[in-house]
Amino acid sequence: MSVTSSAGATPLMDRLISRTVRKHRPLSVHFDLTYRCNERCVHCYLDHDDHGELTTAECLKVLDDLARSGTLFLTFSGGEIFLRRDLYEILAAARHLHFDISLKSNALLVTAERAARLREFAVRRVQISVYSDVPAIHDAITKVPGSLERTLAAIPVLLEHGLPVKLACPLMRENLAGYRGVMALAEKLGVPYVLDLTITPMMDGSGGPLEHRASVSSLLPVLRDPVLHSCKPQMTPQAARAMNSFEPSLGSAVSSGMASSAYEDLPCSAGHNSCYISPYGDVFPCVQLPQAAGNLRREKFDDIWYHAPQLERLRAIRETQLPICSRCEIRSYCERCPGLALMEGGDMLGAYERACALAEEKARLAGVAAPISALHLKRKQEAGLVPTKGEVEFASFAVHTSSD
Amino acid sequence: MNTPAAMTWQKNPELAWREIDDQTVIISPNDSVMHELNDTGSFLWKNIDGIKSVGELAELLVENYEVTPHVALSDTQALLEEMSSRKLVATVAETGVVLP
Repeated sequence: MSVTSSAGATPLMDRLISRTVRKHRPLSVHFDLTYRCNERCVHCYLDHDDHGELTTAECLKVLDDLARSGTLFLTFSGGEIFLRRDLYEILAAARHLHFDISLKSNALLVTAERAARLREFAVRRVQISVYSDVPAIHDAITKVPGSLERTLAAIPVLLEHGLPVKLACPLMRENLAGYRGVMALAEKLGVPYVLDLTITPMMDGSGGPLEHRASVSSLLPVLRDPVLHSCKPQMTPQAARAMNSFEPSLGSAVSSGMASSAYEDLPCSAGHNSCYISPYGDVFPCVQLPQAAGNLRREKFDDIWYHAPQLERLRAIRETQLPICSRCEIRSYCERCPGLALMEGGDMLGAYERACALAEEKARLAGVAAPISALHLKRKQEAGLVPTKGEVEFASFAVHTSSD
Repeated sequence: MNTPAAMTWQKNPELAWREIDDQTVIISPNDSVMHELNDTGSFLWKNIDGIKSVGELAELLVENYEVTPHVALSDTQALLEEMSSRKLVATVAETGVVLP
């Protein structure tokens, strides 16, 4: 008999990920309880109207199904979760079923009493959106005057009740210049943080939020920032002590999965050992891959998870078989997302402009001379600006012949 | 020191845990440390309920695995002490009540 222990991103976690990916166990689930929200963030990808949220009983049934299926990591998010009147009932059920519970919130509604209730449910982490340390910038993004002040007032309350907090800061045009302020704020509070470069289209595919996306060239100071070690995990000493997650400080705040080398040739965790559930019971591979595989009002979770054709197709994808990206020479610098490939490029297997441009900049910063993605190389070849592989070989043969 | 055979243990109620394909993964929310139990450890974990004594847990091991009573008791005691040192379990005497 044995017990093995470790913290953070470790061989033990890698082993768990490998095992759950191999057997398609839904290890990690992101469950949005509501899309209703008390903020109106300019970059948000959600429709905040209530189109028929799962009832309390339906939510509890979902939790039962997930526990039986082997889900351990459960993230409740929204919208704003505190707008669900039955939040405590749902959290109590999740605790009873022994989930590892994380929450995402803007913390506007946090009080000492509510923090104490969260502590009772052994919540492991509360991730809070903070867009800037400057009230005018943060409040302009949330469209709620005074929201930064209220959010920041809630953080010590949560910490005092023993609830680990993590700041999440999506970077966009409006707050990009002040990202160091958010890092300093996290350091002052003694909490970890994640800076997220991903601004996604709306879940229906419309591109409104993309107007707020910062250009790749404007992201260069972030990518070059030595504190962030060119996108490698980096924490302040205080944050390291408070480390309670398996995620880097520059990454995605919306992904339901966890970064690990155990995914090997897979694009990501979506559909392999993680998924997303909407407030209406729709099951998606990921919140960034809005192709519903089924609905929990009509089907059991296991029937969707193990038999939905959408998930089976997704599970068959291997990075080394992608038509364009598999031959990309700077692939190791790329954080290609199948969902964004679908929403932005129209093909889940395809390359898309944003990922290619970011990969080229990261490769350049890492010292690669004149990096070019496979997509951009293909375009140049089609425009006749560079020789194709066949043309290069023919030219080489011609030179050889003439020297004879 | 061996935990007495008559003693009863219970799981720390704050832990998150799940049995996935015969192996149990446990996470302590306070420090985010992850623990993994192998199949026999998982078997014992499922049966730690604040009611069964160490001796009864060892008997269950004997009934379900090819192991002698002496080895079963000694292994059960060792695992409980190891898990206790990691705050995964506590004796009912320590907590005063059987926790839900």
